[in-house]
Amino acid sequence: MGMERVQCTYDSLDETFEIREEMYQGQQYSHIYFTRLRLMRTLLYSLVPHWKPNFPVCTVLGLEESKECVIVGTLYKHMKLKPCILDEYSKQKSVVPLVQPRNFVHSDDYLVLEDESGRVKLNGNIIPPSEYVTGIVVALLGKESGAGDFLVQDVLDAGLPPQIEFPLKSGEDKYVVLVSGLSVGSSSSNPLQFQLLVDHITGHLGDEKEQSIASQIVRLIFAGNLVEIPQRLLNGQNLASKDLARISEPIRELDILLSQIAAGLPLDIMPGPSDPANFSLPQQSLHRCLFPGSSMYNTFRSCTNPHCFELDNVRFLGTSGQNVDDLDKYSDAKDKLEFMERTLRWRHLAPTAPNTLGCFPYTKRDPFFIESCPHVYFVGNQDKFETRVIKGSEGQLVRLVCVPKFSETGVAVMLNIRDLECHALSFGTQFSS
Amino acid sequence: MSNKASRKRTAAPPQPPPAKQPLMSQEEEFMDEDVFIDQSLVLEDEESIILRDIEQRQALAARLSKWMRPPLSADYVAQSRSVIFQQLEIDYVIGESHRELLPNLSGAAAIIRIFGVTKEGHSVCCNVHGFEPYFYVCCPPGMGPDDISHFHQTLEGRMREANRNNNVGKFVRRIEMVQKRSIMHYQQSDSQPFLKIVVALPTMVASCRGILDRGIQLDGLGMKSFLTYESNVLFALRFMIDCNIVGGNWIEIPAGKYKKTMKNLSYCQLEFDCLYSELISHAPEGEYSKMAPFRILSFDIECAGRKGHFPDPSHDPVIQIANLVTLQGEDQPIIRNVMTLESCSPIVGVDVMSFDTEREVLLAWREFIREVDPDIIIGYNICKFDLPYLIERAANLKIAEFPILGRIRNSRVRVKDTTFSSRQYGTRESKEVTVEGRVQFDLLQVMQRDYKLSSYSLNSVSAHFLSEQKEDVHHSIISDLQNGTAETRRRLAVYCLKDAYLPQRLLDKLMFIYNYVEMARVTGVPISFLLSRGQSIKANVLSQLLRKARQKNMVIPNVKQAGSEQGTFEGATVLEARAGFYEKPIATLDFASLYPSIMMAYNLCYCTLVTPEDVQKLNIPPESVNRTPSGETFVKSNLQKGILPEILEELLTARKRAKADLKEAKDPLERAVLDGRQLALKISANSVYGFTGATIGQLPCLEISSSVTSYGRQMIEHTKKLVEDKFTTLNGYEHNAEVIYGDTDSVMVQFGVSAVDQAMNLGREAAEYISGTFTKPIKLEFEKVYYPYLLISKKRYAGLFWTKPDNFDKMDTKGIETVRRDNCLLVKNLVNDCLHKILIDRDIPGAVQYVKNAISDLLMNRMDLSLLVITKGLTKTGDDYEVKAAHVELAERMRKRDAATAPNVGDRVPYVIIKAAKGAKAYEKSEDPIYVLENNIPIDPQYYLENQISKPILRIFEPILKNASRELLHGSHTRSISISTPSNSGILKFAKKQLTCIGCKAVLGKGYHTVCSHCKGREAELYCKTVSQVSELEVLFGRLWTQCQECQGSLHQDVLCTSRDCPIFYRRKKAQKDMAEAKSQLDRFCDIWFIAEFYLEDHRNRGRNVLFGNPDRTF
Repeated sequence: MGMERVQCTYDSLDETFEIREEMYQGQQYSHIYFTRLRLMRTLLYSLVPHWKPNFPVCTVLGLEESKECVIVGTLYKHMKLKPCILDEYSKQKSVVPLVQPRNFVHSDDYLVLEDESGRVKLNGNIIPPSEYVTGIVVALLGKESGAGDFLVQDVLDAGLPPQIEFPLKSGEDKYVVLVSGLSVGSSSSNPLQFQLLVDHITGHLGDEKEQSIASQIVRLIFAGNLVEIPQRLLNGQNLASKDLARISEPIRELDILLSQIAAGLPLDIMPGPSDPANFSLPQQSLHRCLFPGSSMYNTFRSCTNPHCFELDNVRFLGTSGQNVDDLDKYSDAKDKLEFMERTLRWRHLAPTAPNTLGCFPYTKRDPFFIESCPHVYFVGNQDKFETRVIKGSEGQLVRLVCVPKFSETGVAVMLNIRDLECHALSFGTQFSS
Repeated sequence: MSNKASRKRTAAPPQPPPAKQPLMSQEEEFMDEDVFIDQSLVLEDEESIILRDIEQRQALAARLSKWMRPPLSADYVAQSRSVIFQQLEIDYVIGESHRELLPNLSGAAAIIRIFGVTKEGHSVCCNVHGFEPYFYVCCPPGMGPDDISHFHQTLEGRMREANRNNNVGKFVRRIEMVQKRSIMHYQQSDSQPFLKIVVALPTMVASCRGILDRGIQLDGLGMKSFLTYESNVLFALRFMIDCNIVGGNWIEIPAGKYKKTMKNLSYCQLEFDCLYSELISHAPEGEYSKMAPFRILSFDIECAGRKGHFPDPSHDPVIQIANLVTLQGEDQPIIRNVMTLESCSPIVGVDVMSFDTEREVLLAWREFIREVDPDIIIGYNICKFDLPYLIERAANLKIAEFPILGRIRNSRVRVKDTTFSSRQYGTRESKEVTVEGRVQFDLLQVMQRDYKLSSYSLNSVSAHFLSEQKEDVHHSIISDLQNGTAETRRRLAVYCLKDAYLPQRLLDKLMFIYNYVEMARVTGVPISFLLSRGQSIKANVLSQLLRKARQKNMVIPNVKQAGSEQGTFEGATVLEARAGFYEKPIATLDFASLYPSIMMAYNLCYCTLVTPEDVQKLNIPPESVNRTPSGETFVKSNLQKGILPEILEELLTARKRAKADLKEAKDPLERAVLDGRQLALKISANSVYGFTGATIGQLPCLEISSSVTSYGRQMIEHTKKLVEDKFTTLNGYEHNAEVIYGDTDSVMVQFGVSAVDQAMNLGREAAEYISGTFTKPIKLEFEKVYYPYLLISKKRYAGLFWTKPDNFDKMDTKGIETVRRDNCLLVKNLVNDCLHKILIDRDIPGAVQYVKNAISDLLMNRMDLSLLVITKGLTKTGDDYEVKAAHVELAERMRKRDAATAPNVGDRVPYVIIKAAKGAKAYEKSEDPIYVLENNIPIDPQYYLENQISKPILRIFEPILKNASRELLHGSHTRSISISTPSNSGILKFAKKQLTCIGCKAVLGKGYHTVCSHCKGREAELYCKTVSQVSELEVLFGRLWTQCQECQGSLHQDVLCTSRDCPIFYRRKKAQKDMAEAKSQLDRFCDIWFIAEFYLEDHRNRGRNVLFGNPDRTF
């Protein structure tokens, strides 16, 4: 007796993250900030009349001493502890090797607001530097103090973007499984654990009830870090042929695993920091030549990171984790979900790019601008599974999911697109010795 | 200024360190007599033009008035209170003698002007009357009062002859007989008669001296020439010495003792006349050690140069002037503004003033100076560039009223051409601008004098001291920015403001005001002497000597310049260095202020020296003299206390006190003063010895200096002997101690113990034991242990520096030149990293491997180009160089390529050495790094290996490694070599580009784009490698370009910086280029992607309608 897998529609919205025409032609990063500011300013200007109807709107240039007004610009955070590439070149090697802190926030950090016309240093405790990062566009109400600083009295961020309507409940449970950090080839990877997951979702495990749940899985999303290739091998200059082969070994292993899945259900793979992909965001899809076996299936999709798609008109947006990890280095929040929430409110998936997060030097657009609010927003490669639903002022509902590293936790995430309910799927392999 | 440092260097030849400076014009300058300061006063109608001009610009005036000094309080206006102010500048003018104050005198007289600031911030100009110039001669024996009057007449006659044009009533005012004694040599009599010759004007001192030097016919005595005493003292300094005024101290004129000037000649708020005898000079202590709130102006100008030319005031306009005014002691400027030619968008917190004509810009600046009334003007290379440029530019534009920048009304700033000669730098011409009443403090000059850096560009100086890279806009861009819009001019203005701000930050960071004011106080000379006089050390020792001698009723002879024929004496000795790598702690025993201590211990001075004739003649008991190891005789202090030892004692006691106070002090401003003071005292004490040894100095006395060094030598040898005799196994110590090296004032001892704390205990014991055998105050101190210690040779060593047994403090290196300019960065990094590995990681094999890897990288063409760049200053054009030099040839070649961006005289030329045809001369092998990057030109690794790396590396490794040269420079790692193929070389232009396999480089046949059929199976692996290269470059690209955004302080504007001093400049360029290349390589894989797409279509259906589970299995 066989069970038919539940079907659902799939639309990829990755086009915005694909780099096709754009080239490296000596362009710098000013354009992306410029574009971002233009986009965001139009948006914020439309909100200002409701927010502060009685104040004039100025540019940084137009500030006058002690005149209250609204200004819109890009934040820049001056950070004392921020690592600086110049130090690697110019400074004497310090005697005691520096331990890089996990987080570079310092109490001396301060914010600066910049537009095309200039910069002004921000003051006041309305806008705590530890919560903000370089690259966000906000509107501020305040006034210039005598010293040339701007005393902030109120802050407005763009808020959650408008959301497409959530499809009517069909009553049918359909699950999406989110996995990240398989890290095939790394020391922490546990092939057996992953095999359990594969067997489970392909319906080779458990009783009928479990199988029937498994049959409701409509898609598997791999949110980055599928493999880990020893860096040593990639940097080495003259490699022995034996070493050369070892580069592709983990990938071959992964290909076999993916083939097993692809044979059973649709899957999306997103590149992550440790995958054989480019480094800068958006990371381009992993090349098919790496997956000669699994890529033969039309269920196999190699996607970009960030990745955006719709399943039965439920919109998903996710990254392999770099955006949130970078915020975690350069700002503070109570948990990772809060970082995620902030990026939505700032309407920018990766505000710290390009400043501290590598990104392509776009000239005409900023692909990380979030135009439409997703229903599900996930980030991969986090330490633990966390989830929460947030609500926007216009009734937007977003399910936030931190997808943990599978190789370290054995946890995948099951998400029901019918009601956006979500739970962990835990696989353990313990042998008594 | 764009490219400031480099470009400005033309005008600013680096001054050699004072100590080594051979004689020539600088020397002369100090020696020279006072010069009559001719005030170039502006005529009355010119003044009215200025006034009209002011009226026309009421608007500007209103703006300027905001910046005025605080208004005078009523008691100042009523002159009912004493005026107390801190003086900064003292000069003099020739004017009419004051009728009220000096009713008995008439005619021309020297009037001393003291400029300063009260504690309320009022500017003061105090005209001091009645102080007369004078000097001494030794009175010939038997000269009575009548003879003196006769002598007076004769001298007056000779003076009148010599100064025919001078229309003065009386040249020699009077001659008095006084009892003094010469400072030279021990004398048994207390004093002898001297003649004090008082002349009318300061300039007459020199002329009178000349007459007396040459000889004068005297009745009864015949032709007689006189040795003059104190005839070379500058008038202002003479005044300060006699009135007990030291540089930068506070002066009080009690109420009622001063008279307001009839007509104000200066722009100062308080201007008055007084008699010199009414001045009260306050010693810089307590309340009077504080600093007045000086106004410090920091400014910078931008000029729009023509392409390919250094800005020339006869052609190129001044387009912007940025100004910052800061009150001394405050950390934020009170005024920030910029004056621009043509419109400029506003800048937050900055007053932007735009004008339509250059004339208005210049005049606005002049008005600004007058209203703000700065006491100190600072900037980077302002003395040699900005100020002369402004003045010459104004002259070219015929703005006669511009150069009234000083504090004296209607007095134009004078520009003096000076030539500066030295053996090291040849003769150079430069300009000196005198701005009356305002101190000029040029940070470039100060940096060059006080710090040894590899580059003095504002950029690298800021990077060094402020850890900030400065954006550097190439001068060819400046005109483009100026010719753009209000926005681009704003961009330029921001840049200009930053250049005005950095000197202020450097001033604050390095505490220059405190340190220089304290130095002026300690040495007693005006601050401007310390800044502009080349020989500041000599000047200030002389000043102290004069002051002390005056107290002792002694006079100092004006010895004829003896030239250098006096010969040299043996310098400080160093004990032979036993080169090696010491892995046991080495204790260092140091003599604390050795030379000053020796001078004090043995009472060495001019006035205690007994001449060889006197030794016979005077019959001094032997127990009252010291015979120095160099054979000189000095009396002990019971017979005559030396002046130099006394000065030294005072300096060292004062330093001790300052250091003790520093420990107590809480207030940061007070601490800054005290720290500046202790530093000044230390420098002063150490310069006394040098003063006596400077053969072409003011008062050389080689008997003293050679005695000092001979004692020093004896002491070092004595120490070595005592240590090696006492610390032996025979005496119950664990090991025999060994002195491995001894330098001027320190001895390195290996006690043989292996623990740091044991070595420290023994070091302390030895220091105490040996100190006991020396005459006080000579003292041996134990301070530090080196462990491990790499001794290369004399004056070259490196080691970890321990002052406490638990942790080392730092890595200390000496004489291992890693900062030499003509070394490329690779050498510096290699040496540093090797020392780090050897000393800190204690990993010698690791260091060896590291060197090998680096050499292999170099040979394999994997070295980052920026590490290979060598930089040299272009001081003159190619034709003027006698020998062809690499950087000069390159500059010529670059000029032929593009005159606009080619380096000009004064710029630094960065270059790399490239592979050239066999037999090419060394100078032909230099090339512009950017050109090399763009055209893939191969560098010459052999050059770098042999001429750059090998010597410094072998120096380090020879004490450690047998066969260092063979192992490091000729091992198997040097066998593989890879050279890049230039993209522009002749033959390749005709070559057809063919795709090669990414895997094996075989030429690809038709239908293949990425890999050949042979490598087909390796695609995944090859893709991984290629993509990882892309990924690495992306990391670099992102970090480099965002760093540059950070430096320029703007996210929304493109980076323009072309600072070649910046360590990441070439990397950034290279990353950009490599990125594009790596990306296109990666894109070749995409080609198969499309092929694969077609190929896949057939197979797609295999996965369609996949059933749940594996279709082959059933449940």
